[in-house]
Amino acid sequence: MSISLKVEDLTFTYSIDSKPIFERLNFELPLNSFNLLIGPSGSGKSTIFKLMAGLYPQYSGIKNNGRILLNGQEIADIVPFERARHVAMLFQNPSRQFAMKTVFEQLVFALENIQYPAHLIEKRATEVLKKSNLWQFKDRILQTLSGGEQQRVALATVLVLDSSIIFLDEPFANIDNVSRLVILNELKQLQLTQHKTIFISDHDISNYNGLVDHLYEIKLSSQNLVELPLTELAKLPAQTKVTQKNLPDNAVFSWHNLSFHIGQRLLLSPNSLNIPKGYVGLLSGDNGIGKSTLFAAFSHQKKYSGNVLYNGKSSEKIRLRNWARTVANIFQNSSDQFIKLHADEELDFSQSNSLHSEYWTAQRIQDAVNKLDLIQVLKHVNYQLSGGQQKKLQALIILIMSQPVMLFDEPFAGLDLNSLENLLMLIKQTTKDLGLSTLIISHQRRGVVEHIDYELLMDEQTIKRLGEF
Amino acid sequence: MSSKRINPTILVIIMLGIGLQITFAHSVSTNIVVIFVTCLYLCYCKASGKLLILTSLYAFPLALGSWWSFIMFGTGDVWHTAWIYASRVYAYLYLGAIVTLTVSVKNILLSLSLHLKLSSTFVYGLLASFNLLGRIKHQYKTIRYSAMMRGTTYHFWNPSLYLRVIIVALNWSQDLAEAMTSQGFTEGAARTLTYKDNLPKWQWCLATFLILLYFVFSFLVRPW
Repeated sequence: MSISLKVEDLTFTYSIDSKPIFERLNFELPLNSFNLLIGPSGSGKSTIFKLMAGLYPQYSGIKNNGRILLNGQEIADIVPFERARHVAMLFQNPSRQFAMKTVFEQLVFALENIQYPAHLIEKRATEVLKKSNLWQFKDRILQTLSGGEQQRVALATVLVLDSSIIFLDEPFANIDNVSRLVILNELKQLQLTQHKTIFISDHDISNYNGLVDHLYEIKLSSQNLVELPLTELAKLPAQTKVTQKNLPDNAVFSWHNLSFHIGQRLLLSPNSLNIPKGYVGLLSGDNGIGKSTLFAAFSHQKKYSGNVLYNGKSSEKIRLRNWARTVANIFQNSSDQFIKLHADEELDFSQSNSLHSEYWTAQRIQDAVNKLDLIQVLKHVNYQLSGGQQKKLQALIILIMSQPVMLFDEPFAGLDLNSLENLLMLIKQTTKDLGLSTLIISHQRRGVVEHIDYELLMDEQTIKRLGEF
Repeated sequence: MSSKRINPTILVIIMLGIGLQITFAHSVSTNIVVIFVTCLYLCYCKASGKLLILTSLYAFPLALGSWWSFIMFGTGDVWHTAWIYASRVYAYLYLGAIVTLTVSVKNILLSLSLHLKLSSTFVYGLLASFNLLGRIKHQYKTIRYSAMMRGTTYHFWNPSLYLRVIIVALNWSQDLAEAMTSQGFTEGAARTLTYKDNLPKWQWCLATFLILLYFVFSFLVRPW
């Protein structure tokens, strides 16, 4: 079946009184190809995907002009069950794309939607789960899976629908590099053997060289999609390692015989370690190994055995209210961090409650806002910011709080290299100036490791400092 | 599902059909019969005893409260009225329990959509929100903790805490709706239904019979 997806003269805006995100955009998706979309955070990568998948303007925004045509028909007019056979999408937020409770039920739900013959549904779902190496997850409860596992199930849901065009909106934000490569190769195979059209948006362009047929970028200046030469993908600097430094033995934060489980599964067997003050560390390890859970344990959000110590004193008896002023957890999911409605209110609130208000002067905050390119969105509602803008705002409001221990869980997910560098520099500067102990979980290593002072690796139920053993 | 069990749809019909009548009936004995019969069915289905005892304990203050207030402030045959209201609480409770404790939410909703043509938007909307309940509980904790990290405490009576929960839930529902649409879910359109259950004719008769029987006894015979 031949299929086409075309955007003609599209002008799209989120509200009547704001500047359009796209103006007179023209684009034709090349079929049976592997495409990559890059662009700074907030440039509209999610928006263009949702438009081409027919979800916008139904769910958000206003299309002022132009057409988006699937096989010559306006895509918004095609009923979802018809559309899903041609176009499917994988979303940025892994946990919010499932209607059902278990993995198998989710696949069955998708097949029922497209009116797949009842007697073939079980067979089809089984086949796809096995092919995607997810068969052992069949009866697992979706909301208990890790972000990476959820994203793999979401991909299986798209595959079960057998849609010809697959949009993937920042699908790897929470996935470790090994699984990322596996999925990328799987996608390439789907394109080559089943003639699927793949369109991914990703802030990280590593590992795409050789896979991608077309590379696109959203140009903010022209509000348009431009094709870049593939040679851009080869321009990457080589992967670097954290250089080992001799760090002072000045730790104020440590743990002793710390261990925890998730359900029956042991994630960490008794482990003791400390982290230096005034330095930024990277916590690495595979998907689902328990890095976020470790942060949850440190911040008393998850039960554990053993002790977490601050200044040599165990913390277990400290009231959560006070412990939250010692250890800050910068969540993977940015919107969990917000307690106000607008970006500027968040900043004001942090400023007035900061533990280092002498440091966070109005001028310094202003500079940080400028550096993170948040100036135009200060009056916006937090939840309506783009994924990347939310990340930056979230990190900034906690940095202003300046707890002595800072735990960042994937602060760079969805950020372009420029934003990433600015944010990382800000984290580093604050850590050094205020003598904080900062630990970062980041799957993204490029642009990160060169600025990191030490690395902790979580593997096989233990944590060790790299270079020491 | 065991074929010897009553179909979820029939259970819901019995629950509504008898429950509605209980509201207007003035008989302690029929209430007690309802309690007795529903308890028998719950035992037959091996419903969780712990949950049953727990809910019965929760309901006790309500039953006692209405009983006591009729004894103290009622007029006419206060003992009769007091016992009607007290037994009514438990009759409602166990009638509800025959549905909620013997069938999963998913099966109740799918059965209703299969036999009573309940709209699938309603069914899957509810199912999705049930599946998110655990997350919402977790979210409540997370929001309180986020506030603490910013040097403020949201107590459980603080409205801004719930405002936050609602905002987050609204955002989730938007994301979820987009995802469901992209997975082909279409409001009001036909879908394949793989859910199957057994609904023999005699069960319809059973529901009708029980509802009529209750009617005859509580409104025509009217025992104490």
